[in-house]
Amino acid sequence: MRIAVLAHLQDVGEAPVREAMGLMAQLGGEAQTLLLAPAAQPAVAAMGEVRLGVHAALADPDPEMAYAAALRLLGDQAPGLLLMPEGPLFEMIGARLAGHFGMSAVRDVDAVELAGEAVVLRKGAYGGKAYVRVRATGGVVAALRAGAFPAAEPPAGSAAEVQLGELPEGGQERKTVRDTAGDDLGRAKVIVSGGRGLGSAEGYESLRPFARMLGASLGASRAAVDEGWASPAQQVGITGRKVAPELYLAIGISGASQHLSGMSGSRLVIAVNRDEHAPIFEAADIGVVADWYQLWPHLQKALEG
Amino acid sequence: MRIICFLKAILDPEAPPGAIRFAGKVESGEVATVLGPFEGNALELSVQIAQASAGGFVAVAMGDAAQDIALRKALALGAERAVRVDAPAGFQDPLAVARRLKAAAEEAGGADVYVFGRQAGDWDMGVTAGLFAGLMDLPFAPLVQHAEVVGANLRLRREIAGGYEESLRVAPLVVSVTNGPLTLMRLPKVKDVMLANRKPIDVLQAAAEPSLEIAEIAQAQVTRQGRMITGDAAQQAAGLAAELRRFLVAGGGN
Ligand SMILES: Cc1cc2nc3c(=O)[nH]c(=O)nc-3n(C[C@H](O)[C@H](O)[C@H](O)COP(=O)(O)OP(=O)(O)OC[C@H]3O[C@@H](n4cnc5c(N)ncnc54)[C@H](O)[C@@H]3O)c2cc1C
Repeated sequence: MRIAVLAHLQDVGEAPVREAMGLMAQLGGEAQTLLLAPAAQPAVAAMGEVRLGVHAALADPDPEMAYAAALRLLGDQAPGLLLMPEGPLFEMIGARLAGHFGMSAVRDVDAVELAGEAVVLRKGAYGGKAYVRVRATGGVVAALRAGAFPAAEPPAGSAAEVQLGELPEGGQERKTVRDTAGDDLGRAKVIVSGGRGLGSAEGYESLRPFARMLGASLGASRAAVDEGWASPAQQVGITGRKVAPELYLAIGISGASQHLSGMSGSRLVIAVNRDEHAPIFEAADIGVVADWYQLWPHLQKALEG
Repeated sequence: MRIICFLKAILDPEAPPGAIRFAGKVESGEVATVLGPFEGNALELSVQIAQASAGGFVAVAMGDAAQDIALRKALALGAERAVRVDAPAGFQDPLAVARRLKAAAEEAGGADVYVFGRQAGDWDMGVTAGLFAGLMDLPFAPLVQHAEVVGANLRLRREIAGGYEESLRVAPLVVSVTNGPLTLMRLPKVKDVMLANRKPIDVLQAAAEPSLEIAEIAQAQVTRQGRMITGDAAQQAAGLAAELRRFLVAGGGN
């Protein structure tokens, strides 16, 4: 089976691309790495033998632009298995490429095997309550979960540049705005996350002095984002950030499986919830059944003292 | 603008651990079927675009009659028509789903905007909108947080890594919708819910061969052996502060 890796180095960094290349090498067969980049940088040179599509606008690509660039790199013959790191490029174009080529698509993949002409992929389902193995027989685009596969040294060789030519502009009057609120969540060693149980924007704000005392970053559940108390960049979970700090504090969060999927890699989990039956306690190392607003004044004093 | 909004009803994604069993198949027990939350966001965006453009929307779902609760929500919020692509309940190859939804879209006369939720909380595939865009050969704007109608086009705000993008996009196009304060689903009026219950749901037959099937399904949740800090609020605070101090002294912290 022909296998290819397709990635944008900038959006995920080198490690997930090496992981995809490692998986491709392990599966064997005809292999090819296709990279998109705004310029032929040193990071690209470190990836060994690749086909490289370069265009300055790929520094911050519009979905239409990224799609056109990927189609030019791929040519008219799609591989049987197209591996992409889970990330912005897959979000924009992975499934769309699959539809274009009449392939299926699977995300959040953490194991892949070949079975003759079929590909068997494992992924989470039901918010992480279950996992499934799916068998693809007509070609598939797979988004690989970061960290699930061992990274490989790229094969010796150098990048062969592919002329992308003119790319469509896509959106007009386009501007991108950085939201720094969730910036350090990925690196944070301590995260304090708040949920709907905090009751109000002011309630969510009460986590700020607590987080400051711990040198923590602020995360949120989907419900807190929906309420507008926290920004989407702070959402932790299956459709938010996946975090793995040394300490994760969940305050007023019920512990829905979709939230747990984003923080279950944390080393120590502490939960505060006033409902002793909240599922978060089954995912926590230390639990406190308490109303946050009764606990916080005492906690503040105890931590300051 | 003409809008087609694709919906899906799923087992309550907030069902407590253990309520749904996964051992070779999905045993749903007493768990209710509800409109998927991102599909609720998609429905809200469809209503907003329809109202702002003096247009209308058609709601399409795929599955058995359990899907009708999703379609009735859409009817209660003003959908002109509800279409269910008939299919058995359970896992479906997303490519085959997208092909059948394409057939339904064509039957409905096409649209300017095709609106999907970003991910349904049953199989968490999150690829149907993109597959559909690829099949239709239409532009695709994923993770929309907000849409403003500008003449015959849409100014979209989309979630991107570490922020958002705003741009004016030309219809026809496919969007997937994410959660946020601007796409929170509004509640229908009781009267409209009652009227919706009497409206017809058109059932459409459309076939597509699957190329993806489930080979195995199993339980996955990992639980931790937690311990509780008990006592009154002052005692709990003292206990928790001691734990936090121990952690910080041991070198934890940013
Ligand atoms: C496909 C899909 C993807 C999703 N992705 C995500 C995701 O990425 N991230 C995410 O978080 N969710 C996600 N969800 C939503 C998820 O199912 C839950 O709806 C959400 O996590 C609930 O947020 P919450 O715990 O803040 O709110 P709730 O479930 O309402 O819980 C609030 C909790 O606060 C407690 N409480 C109330 N008052 C107090 C008080 N004074 N002191 C202490 N505790 C109090 C309550 O006992 C309750 O347990 C997703 C759902 C789907 C279907």
